[in-house]
Amino acid sequence: MSQENSQRLWMFKTMVVSREFELAIKAAYLEGKQPVFNMAKGPIPGEMHLSNGQEPCAVGVCAHLRPTDAVTSTHRPHHVAIAKGVDIGRMAAEIFGRQEGLSGGRGGHMHLFDAAVNFCCSGIIAQGMGPAVGAAMAARLAGRDDVAVSFIGEGAANQGAFHEALNLAAVWKAPVVFVIEDNAWGISVAKRASTAVSDNSARAASYGIPGVHIPGNDPDLIWEEAGKAIDRARKGGGPTLVEIETVRLEGHFMGDAEGYRPAEEMAGLAQRDAILIYRARLEKEGVAQDVLDDLEHQARQEVTAAIAFARAGKAPTAAQALEKVFA
Amino acid sequence: MSNVIIPANLWEEDLEGAVSIWFFEEGDNVSEGDTLCEIMVEKSTFEVEAPAAGVLRILVQVEVPVKKGDAIAHIG
Amino acid sequence: MTAKKRKITIAKAMAEAIAHEMRADPGVLVMGEDIAALGGVFGNTRGLLDEFGSERVRDTPISETAFIGAAVGMAAAGMKPVVELMFVDFFGVCMDAIYNLAAKQSYFSGGNVTCPMVLMTSVGGGYGDAGQHSQTLFATFGHLPGLKVVIPSNAYDAKGMMIAAIRDPNPVVFMFHKALQGMGWLGTVQSSVVDVPDEAFEIELGKAAVVRAGRDITIAGLGHTVHLAMDAARELAKAGVEAEVIDLRSVAPIDRATILASVSRTRAFLSVDDDYMSYGVGAELVATVAEAVALKARPQRISYPDIPVPFAPEMEHAVLPSADKIIAAVQSILGEK
Repeated sequence: MSQENSQRLWMFKTMVVSREFELAIKAAYLEGKQPVFNMAKGPIPGEMHLSNGQEPCAVGVCAHLRPTDAVTSTHRPHHVAIAKGVDIGRMAAEIFGRQEGLSGGRGGHMHLFDAAVNFCCSGIIAQGMGPAVGAAMAARLAGRDDVAVSFIGEGAANQGAFHEALNLAAVWKAPVVFVIEDNAWGISVAKRASTAVSDNSARAASYGIPGVHIPGNDPDLIWEEAGKAIDRARKGGGPTLVEIETVRLEGHFMGDAEGYRPAEEMAGLAQRDAILIYRARLEKEGVAQDVLDDLEHQARQEVTAAIAFARAGKAPTAAQALEKVFA
Repeated sequence: MSNVIIPANLWEEDLEGAVSIWFFEEGDNVSEGDTLCEIMVEKSTFEVEAPAAGVLRILVQVEVPVKKGDAIAHIG
Repeated sequence: MTAKKRKITIAKAMAEAIAHEMRADPGVLVMGEDIAALGGVFGNTRGLLDEFGSERVRDTPISETAFIGAAVGMAAAGMKPVVELMFVDFFGVCMDAIYNLAAKQSYFSGGNVTCPMVLMTSVGGGYGDAGQHSQTLFATFGHLPGLKVVIPSNAYDAKGMMIAAIRDPNPVVFMFHKALQGMGWLGTVQSSVVDVPDEAFEIELGKAAVVRAGRDITIAGLGHTVHLAMDAARELAKAGVEAEVIDLRSVAPIDRATILASVSRTRAFLSVDDDYMSYGVGAELVATVAEAVALKARPQRISYPDIPVPFAPEMEHAVLPSADKIIAAVQSILGEK
């Protein structure tokens, strides 16, 4: 099998793992939250921001990354974490708030850190961009050709840190790629109502760096363009801004009634499901159905095991809350 | 005496909801049209108004499942 | 005939207050993220877009330092902006506009340029939103000169304090606690939903309220901890201990007079807040009391420990203040020989 084909099958399977993971987390999240949706109840309290629909962004980019490359992500991190190679059992355990979780239950779903694959995420918009510049510089200063990738939403392009990070990365020629997952909605506010330009990729010009706009939530197109940007960074060519048009299939957070989203848009969402579209494309190009079925089956098994591991985990103790504040 | 019934068309599907907040207490005087409570159905909230004036007797506490058509209070 | 009862949530009280002032004064406008069509993630601006239109009710981009800075400029020009910082935890991206500009505008200008803006912001946790979405930060904001910082514990205070805040020529940080807001999806402390008059009224900012009279000990709380203190007081009363509960209402300025008047009688003091302990509200109140009153027992403060807010409920709930912790503290204070 060609390298490219094996990459494509990896992308397909990883998207399925990601989607199955989100569906399992959603089901667990909603336990105890019916009939009244009270965020504090159930095995997973708090907010939950799912990535259903945005999987191509994660796999198209992370297909090119090594464990030693750094990735920072946002409040909507699961698909990126999975594509980066974060241990999904320990990630699930963290989301369930267990001792076996990545931070022993201290961080939860928006604050996932996996040092083994250099992945982290945080909940304040655009604030992961500076650290990505730093991780990139650390690699450069140590003489490695590792890169850093910062995943953000399109709303983050209006935050001060975005502009500072792009400028700094450009001035330092940092080996960093900034990836905008443009799902067109910042909670209830449409991108066109909040953003002075129609394509954030155009903003790259303000910082003298290349900007790429990728339409269609297409894993293969994303793979191609992200590959160029990451390669450019590895070879000392500096930063790139990559903007990907993607689709948010669920609400901003679980519990979001999405009354602000036009009915026609909601009705059309299922047809824009990138995993179904990609599977159809792979079949059309000659990949056997049972190969794809098998990958889906493996994906489901991995997710089932991860969730079971999480549910079987131990609840943290009160004393553990006071630990790890300082090293 | 009037029953306070959840209107059959208050929300769309045949989903269960639950009262999330009562704005009056047992025994309070209410007027016709007063907003008595909030009902949450999945992620949306709806209000139920008093169909008449009188003394409120609450039948259903918060977080107890209710359906459209259920009587949640009496007004006497 | 008794006045008609009309109970509303803090969310509705805030929206009503803003609407009153927007009707009365064309210089009042409201802006922030998701406050227009959505009516605010926490329901505090519902109905405003429909009544006042998009010139005066503005959804902003995710650009806190720009739009809060813009509010400072509008205030300098004589407008009365009400601007929302969605979660107080987000202050890191816009603090300069708040503590270096808004807070110092009157001082730097010798009183010639005021800053009549309201910064409303959600605070508090207890529902699993973890370290960056659950903080209260009373002390962080209360510590910086030039800001008024207030937090209502119920809908009546919320309406009166919001109207006062909008009319105040100074910058007011109006904090609203998520556990009290009235959003069904967050769970709400029922005792924050109270009778609120239809009409506009003011509650003077900087005045605490004695919400329960008692002779044995003074308990000071604010926001959510007022309700915990009241729960504890009811329990303690069964054992014959009468606690006086004070709702601080204002982190800055602090109503030291009300606290000292109470403690001068009870001679026992407990402070309860859900902000980090060190350098916090409790520290400030205990110092105030210790400087002025000879107590019959050592004072105590119940606060949040000096740790980031943990996600897992077993950890989060173990470290939050509670009625049980208040009862135990009162017993230990009054049991001292």
